Amino acid sequence: MELTAGNLLELFLYSASMWWVIIPAVFIGIIMGAIPGFAAHNTIIMLLPLTLAFEADIALTFMVALYCASHLGGGVPAILLNIPGTGGAAATTLDGYPMSRKGLASRALALSFVASILAGLITSALTLFVLPYLSQVGFYIRSVEMVVVMLFGLALIAAIAAQDMIKGLIAGAFGLMLGAMGADHIYATPRGTFGILELFDGIPLVPALIGLFAISEALIMLEEKSIAAGHSKSVTPSWREALHNIGDAFKHWFLIIWTSVLGLVIGVMPGAGASIAAFVAYQQARVFSKTPEKFGTGHEQGVVAPEAANNGVTTGTLVPLLAIGIPGGSTAAVMMIVLQFHGVPFGPRLFMQNPMLAYGVIMSMFVAYIFMLITLFPLTRYLSRITIVANYYMAPTIVAFTLVGAFVPRSFIADLTIAVGFGLIGYVARKTGYHVAAILIGVILGPLLERSFLLSMRISGGDPMIFFSSNIGNVLWVLLFAMLLASPVLKLLKKRRSKGDIY
Amino acid sequence: MTKRLITRAPGLIGRRSFLRTSGAAVAATGLGGFTGVRKAFAQDYPSRNIDIVIPTGEGGGADRDARAFTSVWGKHLNTNFQFGYFPGAAGQVGYEFYMDREPDAYSLLFANLGPEIIMLALQDTGIEVGRDIVFIQQTLSEPMAVWVGPNSPIRTLEELVELGRSRPITVATSRLPHPASIGMLALGEAMGMEIVLVPYGGGNPTAMAAITQETDCAALPVTNTIVLDDQAHVLGLFADENVAPEGTDNAPTVNDALGTSIPELTSSRAWGVHRAAYDAHPDRIAALVESMEATLADPDYTAAVEAAGVPTVFIDPGDEARAMASAAATTELARRYRDLLTGS
Repeated sequence: MELTAGNLLELFLYSASMWWVIIPAVFIGIIMGAIPGFAAHNTIIMLLPLTLAFEADIALTFMVALYCASHLGGGVPAILLNIPGTGGAAATTLDGYPMSRKGLASRALALSFVASILAGLITSALTLFVLPYLSQVGFYIRSVEMVVVMLFGLALIAAIAAQDMIKGLIAGAFGLMLGAMGADHIYATPRGTFGILELFDGIPLVPALIGLFAISEALIMLEEKSIAAGHSKSVTPSWREALHNIGDAFKHWFLIIWTSVLGLVIGVMPGAGASIAAFVAYQQARVFSKTPEKFGTGHEQGVVAPEAANNGVTTGTLVPLLAIGIPGGSTAAVMMIVLQFHGVPFGPRLFMQNPMLAYGVIMSMFVAYIFMLITLFPLTRYLSRITIVANYYMAPTIVAFTLVGAFVPRSFIADLTIAVGFGLIGYVARKTGYHVAAILIGVILGPLLERSFLLSMRISGGDPMIFFSSNIGNVLWVLLFAMLLASPVLKLLKKRRSKGDIY
Repeated sequence: MTKRLITRAPGLIGRRSFLRTSGAAVAATGLGGFTGVRKAFAQDYPSRNIDIVIPTGEGGGADRDARAFTSVWGKHLNTNFQFGYFPGAAGQVGYEFYMDREPDAYSLLFANLGPEIIMLALQDTGIEVGRDIVFIQQTLSEPMAVWVGPNSPIRTLEELVELGRSRPITVATSRLPHPASIGMLALGEAMGMEIVLVPYGGGNPTAMAAITQETDCAALPVTNTIVLDDQAHVLGLFADENVAPEGTDNAPTVNDALGTSIPELTSSRAWGVHRAAYDAHPDRIAALVESMEATLADPDYTAAVEAAGVPTVFIDPGDEARAMASAAATTELARRYRDLLTGS
């Protein structure tokens, strides 16, 4: 079906008429996204009886708006409390939280909101026009290419390790080791589970994330009065300053564009997701930055890149479902259930039988981001005040909320124990100078890398040359090595320049 | 564009009804909350919601089929259903968690009598069908299919066999302990082909592997291919006859096309209960079975299955004896191919 200007306008107006669905969904999404464990797909599952009772287009609009908003919401606690609401916001903690510590929480939130909303608008608009072409990306990404994509994400461990090479690499290797726990991907043989059934499916991401970030952070918090102690004046900006922060965030427009498109492309790849996109985007932004040494210290680009990427993913994840009929992630899988329940076909048949519903999903996303634009910016002024609340109130509140979040995805009591265990690991890691983000990267990407690696090796009959057998894979390898070499080479050139050796 | 994107089905909520209901709800809450809203049940059983354990992830075939069933079952059993998803270790996690539940007939297992029975036969779970779990009602049954993506150069079973005689054939499969995997191993054995099974851990990623041609072909329950429409080209079915020719490119059965005698390989959905509940609460089991049979006979269930994209010819009601016999036959097959499926 050709999308004409008239069709687009009609779709836009129809989606906008769903304000009564979008606005509650946005607020639910932001709140749930900000509480680790609730995220989009768990919230959508909890609300499934409600969404199944709605008509399909209303239900889809609700789910899409909630999904987008939860990705945006995940960045809020990452910035304010060093606790990512979703795996996709883990990279945001690296620079977002240091900004809060400096009393720049409001500015960091403005950066996060602008990056997220612009990324959502750009990628959903782009998807509307290039959906048929974008869906082709999924056809060219196989296990071999996924191995290289995962290595792009793992390269962030090396970046984190740059501050203390030995400790960074140990933390990353520890995370990879933890990620290897669970049943193996081929024969389903349990490994390193100590007979604990709850670990058969691997280390559960949400309890690990909650432990490493939230619980360990709550323990650290108790040692200080408040997060932004000594910066209480700058924490609560005037309206003028808040608007100025928002305006300044638009200066990063170019970074937002390319990292959001990167997120979109990674989102289209089945099996990839917001975490990978955010890690890769952060790492790439660092490589191409003029000031890479500032990353990790509260650098604005370090907030913008992962937030733009993880919101770019939201559109991308829906592409395989809409174009091929195969969900690209867990949230898309739940959406598929709703489509099936209503008897709406998906994949190519959706475009043949109900094209306006297919494009309507993407337009709903676009409109949801516009609603967020209007409703969320004032929050940058008020949310930042959390950082001056006394820690003896904040710490127990964080532990209580996040432990509920640890329980929600699987409803296992054991997940509370896992969260507390990871909390202690995280606390010891922080006190001894090991980076918890490096551990988390290993936990998230390790199993995905192993799966793609094993599938490739099984297909090739054990021949490792399969990893260099595809043109796209080879291009990605070259880019990976170029990226890994770029950082030290640029550093060397800069050093020589400063010494006056070369010009 | 039409005013509405899709036609409204009766009983679904639209904007006006949502706003009207929300307003009423807010008003009611303001006046002291809901009173008398909770439905009073005349029967003793079920007096609360039924928990449904699904040993795979959300959004998969089991989720689809269970929801289609419960969407109609609720009106015959007069209760609501809560779903829990417990994927992992080829279904072992779900079964072990199910066994830990209270055996009171308020927890039911929505089982797949193909892959999950093979898993129980091959993995050290300590769970035995019959001794620990009883399958009280079969709902659906579908054959396994071997298929390729739309751009694959392989168009027939004969071409697949010809290729397989010159090099190993890679087959995407959901998991090793699966009837489709057994079918491909049996096919390889019969035709002198080396089959390399590549388990992708779920129907969706398996389908993607065939569509992208990462593997030569895929082997899955046939509904997966029907749902994919023209993204899948079915080469053959491990069945005695093709009962859904329209959705499967009128594919032949493997035995008809190649002259083999591979047994019919199916994946049947069935409701399971704890043996302890079965023995301790015969009245509850009778209520469950009676309402399940009424659901299976209800035209609304046929409509729900059709709406979910599953051909209604796969609705295959079967009583306890039939479901247990199906499980026993699958166990026998799993034992026969144990070495190949476990890599030992």
